[in-house]
Amino acid sequence: MIQTKNINRDLITEMEILVPEAFHIPEKQRRYRFITISGIVILTVISLWKLQINPFTIFFGIGKFFQMVMMFFPPTHGGWISEFIYAMGETLAMAFLGTLFGFLFAVPLGFLAAKNIIPSTIIHIVLRRFFDVIRGINTLIWALMFVNVAGLGPFAGIMAIIITDTATLAKLFAESIENVDTSQIDGAKSTGAGPIQIIRYAFIPQVLPIMLSNVLYFFESNVRAASILGILGAGGIGMQLYDRIRIMNWPQVFFIIIMILITVAVIDTISKEIRKAIVANPEYRP
Amino acid sequence: MLRLENVTKSFGTLNAVDHVNLDIPQGQMVGIIGSSGAGKSTLLRLINRLWEPCSGKIMFYEDEVSAYKGQDLLDWRSNCAMIFQQFNLVKRLSVLTNVLMGRLRKHGTISSMLMHFTKEERAMAIEALDRVDIVDQALKRCDQLSGGQQQRVAIARALMQDPLIILADEPIASLDPISAAHVMDTLRSINQKEGHTVVASIHHLSSARAYCERIIGMKDGRIVFDGTPSQLSTEVVRSIYHVEDAEVELEHDAENLAVACV
Ligand SMILES: Nc1ncnc2c1ncn2[C@@H]1O[C@H](COP(=O)(O)OP(=O)(O)O)[C@@H](O)[C@H]1O
Ligand SMILES: [Mg+2]
Repeated sequence: MIQTKNINRDLITEMEILVPEAFHIPEKQRRYRFITISGIVILTVISLWKLQINPFTIFFGIGKFFQMVMMFFPPTHGGWISEFIYAMGETLAMAFLGTLFGFLFAVPLGFLAAKNIIPSTIIHIVLRRFFDVIRGINTLIWALMFVNVAGLGPFAGIMAIIITDTATLAKLFAESIENVDTSQIDGAKSTGAGPIQIIRYAFIPQVLPIMLSNVLYFFESNVRAASILGILGAGGIGMQLYDRIRIMNWPQVFFIIIMILITVAVIDTISKEIRKAIVANPEYRP
Repeated sequence: MLRLENVTKSFGTLNAVDHVNLDIPQGQMVGIIGSSGAGKSTLLRLINRLWEPCSGKIMFYEDEVSAYKGQDLLDWRSNCAMIFQQFNLVKRLSVLTNVLMGRLRKHGTISSMLMHFTKEERAMAIEALDRVDIVDQALKRCDQLSGGQQQRVAIARALMQDPLIILADEPIASLDPISAAHVMDTLRSINQKEGHTVVASIHHLSSARAYCERIIGMKDGRIVFDGTPSQLSTEVVRSIYHVEDAEVELEHDAENLAVACV
């Protein structure tokens, strides 16, 4: 052990002369590190000051929170269980239809916005900017607008999900279409296959698994979003939740929250299994 | 008869293929040799019309292939099957579907969108897979196969096109010697039995010598040698590969491959 240490010391001096940068954190990197850390500290202080948060408010806030948590127990449905289940179903349906139509619209738009499908720079830039603008407006804002136009009800929620999912998925799809393995495309092209056939036989097998796994993830997050949309009057479990919060019926609020958590967890597990079956399964042929 | 007249393809200022003139009679087995970057792949992609020549003409008998557009262009690609170094199969589709892709040109959009192939076509595909000895892998997904097996699937796909010409771009460069010999044997047998012209770029000088009746040497986009394997002297090889002791390594290589072929 000691012997090797001696040899190592010689080696160290020798190698340090060869590549000195390998033995120290470079000056530049140290400077970036300093800037990042001090930036975070400064922003934290400014934010706390701006929002007038001090140890007292935090202390009282936590106290109130615990008070409320105590009021949550025991969670009960108070005889509303069938209404809750029906409303949960409505929320799931809203999320499902929103995701499904978002996906169906996003596939063709994704292909149109992919440079290797439509080489026109103008179409590419216009579509991408368009997606960005739509994505830039939160689903909740879209829902508020649709509630104004189409009235209260699930339709406004579904529309809001379709709009934002179409734009977000189309952007993701376009990117995965642009990143396909071109050798597989060349292979299909070399047989004399036409453009649509090339898309079906060489693009779809490569991008469909990525698309589906994205869509499953979006469905999951849309169930959460749809629960919130209910609060804006789009119906579903969110509406029930909001009613209970207004009359401060905390045990029923808690019951509904637990219902939402369980539903999301179940969907999460199922979609994880489906994703595994798609991506890692040699039997799967897109 | 395939004829190239002054065909040039440039990337920026570089002429990857530089005023190439070439006649290949129908049914010949031709090997293209040359060091990396000599323009072999570019030349083959120009012939299949995966890439457009910048100038010059490609003729097939009386027809100007380089002027084909639309349906004619797709027909030409289908008549001029291509095999690639990296196999270029669709990895997530089954071996059978990949082979059936050789028939896409004969299909309308709707039948091919539904992946609807006739019984006759399926029988043809199985026959083609049998021809290259991997009928037992027909239902596997392509990414489950070894490189040698994938290259044989690619040959089966080419056979399904019932082509006039088979172009092969370094078909054995990614393969072990046994698989390489199997692939070259299959190409030779297709050349002899079906009478398809075979044009293959081959890195290994020894395989080119062993399998091809005619060898074309390329260097910097130009044809610098065109003759029979026996006319390919050490001086010529040296000039094509611009390496001084090339022949030593290459002759050694030849012995290895000869062993593998037996
Ligand atoms: N897509 C491309 N863009 C730019 N240059 C290319 C491209 N393809 C090939 N080249 C260049 O053309 C020359 C010939 O390449 P290639 O035909 O692939 O040679 P080979 O197949 O003989 O190794 C090389 O110098 C290569 O760098
Ligand atoms: Mg090459």
